[in-house]
Amino acid sequence: MLNITNLHAETAGKAILKGITLAINPGEIHAIMGPNGAGKSTLAYTLGGRPGYEVTAGSATFDGADLLEMEPHERAAAGLFLGFQYPVEIPGVSNLQFLREALNAQRKQRGEEPLSGAEFIKIARAEATSLGLDHEMLKRPVNVGFSGGEKKRNEMVQMGIIAPKLAILDETDSGLDIDALKAVGHGINTIMRKPDKAVLLITHYQRLLDYVKPDFVHVLADGRIVRSGGAELAHELEREGYVGIDGVAA
Amino acid sequence: MATQNLEAIAAAEKLSTYEWGFSSDIEQEFAPKGLSEDTVRFISAKKGEPAWMLDWRLKAYRLWLTMEAPDWAKLNVPPIDYQDAFYYAAPKAKPKLGSLDEVDPEILRTYEKLGIPIKEQKLLAGVVEDTDAMPQGRRIAVDAVFDSVSVATTFRAELERAGVIFRSISEAIKEYPDLVRKWLGKVVPQHDNYFATLNAAVFSDGTFVYIPEGVRCPMELSTYFRINAENTGQFERTLIIADKGSHVSYLEGCTAPQRDENQLHAAVVELVALDDAEIKYSTVQNWYPGDAEGKGGIYNFVTKRALCQGKNSKVSWTQVETGSAITWKYPSCVLAGENSVGEFYSVAVTTNRQQADTGSKMIHLGKNSRSTIVSKGISAGRSDNTYRGLVRVGPTAENVRNFTQCDSLLLGDQCGAHTVPYIEVGNPSAQIEHEATTSKISDDQLFYAMQRGLDAEAAVALIVNGFAREVLKQLPMEFAVEAQKLLGISLEGSVG
Amino acid sequence: MTLLALPSARDEAWRWSDLAALPALADARPSGQPRSVDDLWIDISGPRILFVDGAYDASRSNPGPVRIGQADADASKHALGRLAGSTGWSLSLGRDAASDTIQIVHVATGGANHLAAEIMLDEDATAAIVESFAGEGWTNRATAIRLARSARLMVARRFVQDAGFQSHADTADIAQGASLATISLVAGAADSRLDGHLTITGIEAYAEAGGALLGRARQRHDAAFVVRHAAANGQSRQIWRAVADEQAIASAAARVEVARHAQKTDGEQSLRGLLLTRTAAVNLKPELEIFADDVKCGHGATVGELDRQALFYLASRGIPPLPARAMLTRAFVADAFARIGNDAVREAFAETADRWLDV
Repeated sequence: MLNITNLHAETAGKAILKGITLAINPGEIHAIMGPNGAGKSTLAYTLGGRPGYEVTAGSATFDGADLLEMEPHERAAAGLFLGFQYPVEIPGVSNLQFLREALNAQRKQRGEEPLSGAEFIKIARAEATSLGLDHEMLKRPVNVGFSGGEKKRNEMVQMGIIAPKLAILDETDSGLDIDALKAVGHGINTIMRKPDKAVLLITHYQRLLDYVKPDFVHVLADGRIVRSGGAELAHELEREGYVGIDGVAA
Repeated sequence: MATQNLEAIAAAEKLSTYEWGFSSDIEQEFAPKGLSEDTVRFISAKKGEPAWMLDWRLKAYRLWLTMEAPDWAKLNVPPIDYQDAFYYAAPKAKPKLGSLDEVDPEILRTYEKLGIPIKEQKLLAGVVEDTDAMPQGRRIAVDAVFDSVSVATTFRAELERAGVIFRSISEAIKEYPDLVRKWLGKVVPQHDNYFATLNAAVFSDGTFVYIPEGVRCPMELSTYFRINAENTGQFERTLIIADKGSHVSYLEGCTAPQRDENQLHAAVVELVALDDAEIKYSTVQNWYPGDAEGKGGIYNFVTKRALCQGKNSKVSWTQVETGSAITWKYPSCVLAGENSVGEFYSVAVTTNRQQADTGSKMIHLGKNSRSTIVSKGISAGRSDNTYRGLVRVGPTAENVRNFTQCDSLLLGDQCGAHTVPYIEVGNPSAQIEHEATTSKISDDQLFYAMQRGLDAEAAVALIVNGFAREVLKQLPMEFAVEAQKLLGISLEGSVG
Repeated sequence: MTLLALPSARDEAWRWSDLAALPALADARPSGQPRSVDDLWIDISGPRILFVDGAYDASRSNPGPVRIGQADADASKHALGRLAGSTGWSLSLGRDAASDTIQIVHVATGGANHLAAEIMLDEDATAAIVESFAGEGWTNRATAIRLARSARLMVARRFVQDAGFQSHADTADIAQGASLATISLVAGAADSRLDGHLTITGIEAYAEAGGALLGRARQRHDAAFVVRHAAANGQSRQIWRAVADEQAIASAAARVEVARHAQKTDGEQSLRGLLLTRTAAVNLKPELEIFADDVKCGHGATVGELDRQALFYLASRGIPPLPARAMLTRAFVADAFARIGNDAVREAFAETADRWLDV
């Protein structure tokens, strides 16, 4: 589904990603772990197409198409969802309005009919219920006045409504209490653990992986994947820390 | 790096700009070009006005001759040649129309293009229609002003059953001379300002509304203004009187063809609210703004003022201003009544080389009077957008409250956003609060919306609509949707 | 008759001013009998300069680095500032120089007196100046300030004349990384008009203009300041507090201008008015003129009376109405000179304000 080959990227003139190669197939959940400054968020932003993140070498394809050639909204329409570490506030625009416009823009790009207001609200309510987000929150402006936990749950509701093929979740677990963490984990499993979907979880801690069992774990250090393994690698990292992993300074 | 902004500009530049820029080929009658006492007499005679009306006009005209055009700090207004314009243009009068087929098809097409529904259109063009056969749901009575004259007002019979008078002002002068005479020029006196004085001399039509005591107007009233003829100034005059305990919601929409010459629109709107009366006045102004180089467009110099004379009276102005080359207007409230309330909600969008200088004046004279000003300015292209406002509290006005919020959004680094509020308080029991912010659309917001699937232009339109939300929600529902679309369309080609 | 070309209230920038008293003052003669100035010196070390009716009193001055003589106040475009002439005092500090706080006292005995001043600080130089205006008559001043890269200047002024009119006009150029703070306290019995046009010409510079206008009787106090950001990454603060008692009118107009390329400007204005009686008036005009999109500019303005709940709260704790009002008014005004760095100077200003409040 996603094929990354020797990806190099820089931001603000500084090289961050220094040759990442990674293949994610349908039905797989990958976790990328690593210390602060390893390049985890840069990987997410580069794949999402954020301006200011420049690819200097390498390639990335999504379902065979050149991902790096696409505009951010084209990547979204192609089925790539980016869960933000810091979801952005948009004053005056309700969650419902935002998502309906987003979803219908994606559908249009894919040549599908737009959803009616009633159809959309049904979907939105169902997703909110499943993630324990108060329906009233759907009417509130996007992320404005939301607590950290609410913002992350809201990201999951958005993911549920948009129903992407591939979700790249950037530190979705950061700043969550245990209940919110469970809800987010439940959301990822319900929405994304399907044979035709895949997830790239970016996290600093192993905690989220208790709720979302990854098929593969990769360690990112200084812009490169220095180790890959199964779910057990996460536990090892939790016990031993990142020190001692190749490429991680003591 | 704001590369998305750049992409948005590129994407937007491909799109057309002013969708209402067509002109209609209609047989019209003009007054001789230029302005003189004879022009004033011509207009008055055309309208078959009584002598007092002609005298009133002539008095204004003579006064105007002694006045000087204002020179404003933040507007760059080229000199206007008042002799090089027509002050009266009217579609050739038709005898009583019996069916749709008899209406000038060009006028029909014009309103069709403007998006006024066909059922309503029949009424607009003056065809006799059984109003009871109208589809259920929300109905809107319309007065259509085509260049200088009112083409028709609709729903007249039903409104009359409720006691509401909804007329073109020319008709009202003849049919209700006492009412018109009592209030005309009472809120905006003849000598008020250069353009108001000019209007008093040459106004050609407009709308008159009277809501009798205790009546809640059964439907929205609206006027569609359309400047069609070339080199023609439009000088309409609107007078709305809400008697004790009455309620009315009124909306005006404005468009004009795309022309290279500047055209002058100098309207006067007077509102009077007596005890416990409420007037809601909404404007969606979309006059032709000129092209990307600033050629052509309407000069929109308008005086709008409400007198909240009665206790507990309320006037609420809502405006969405996207058009005109130059806009100069300050819908205001004189809050004379005890407990009276004035509100001003405004979204002003300027793009290309448009200039807008708009805001409100809230003059507090009555005890416990309250006012709210919410202004959202959006500047793009090489435009300048100024909020100018005054909140004044008179010495005898106890317990006055005002809250003012002025927010500016800049799209691109070639435009300007200015805030010029005056606060003059002469009574210590007043509580006056004013806040202002200036910002741009953040790259974070843009990327977030794009990551959810919106292209750059849709993302900007969405964020701008969010910015203007507080004002848009004040509009009657149908117009809120229309206004929302208008914001998006106005910013096409100028986002950056 | 002296012929004075004075602006009128029809002139937008002078809308709230009343200059009617000036022609008569311009024609009157000073008595030459100055009041004592002992109470005006703040007890800190450093140069002290005394002007009596605009004339330098060498016997009672210790000018330090300040020169007396020619001064270019750069005020030719200002309606009152241009009358200040070309003589007065000047301060020029070289690279890295630092001066002790310079105190200047201006005492007047009637009539009109005009004086120009010029302050030039070279790279990394630092200075602080405290000026006090006392006596009676029309005291008119204009000051030009030029700050080179990373220079720092604080100017604090007290206007406490017993009668007449006090006018002051500043112009300033602030280069890269330099910092200027001007703080004014008007707390006497004379009318006043304070003007300032501060321009940030280099990146990452800082400008502050603010103060407190305290008026009673039939006084008019009027401050009109402009901070112009002509370079990027600058920061400015304009904090004005206007208090009007009896029949006074206190007005503050503050403008932030951001030029086309002055991106990342951070400009903030806080204008607040307090009315102590129903016959007084406060006018405020916080103005933004912005031509750059990536800026953070905003303002807040409020006008009202003392918080009745707070007054009641103080009363319930046994504080009588007058001291309670003074206490809350003092708190209202204090923001305006909180930025004066020198403790002794700040306390002296607070005391001056207190004396006004305690009358």
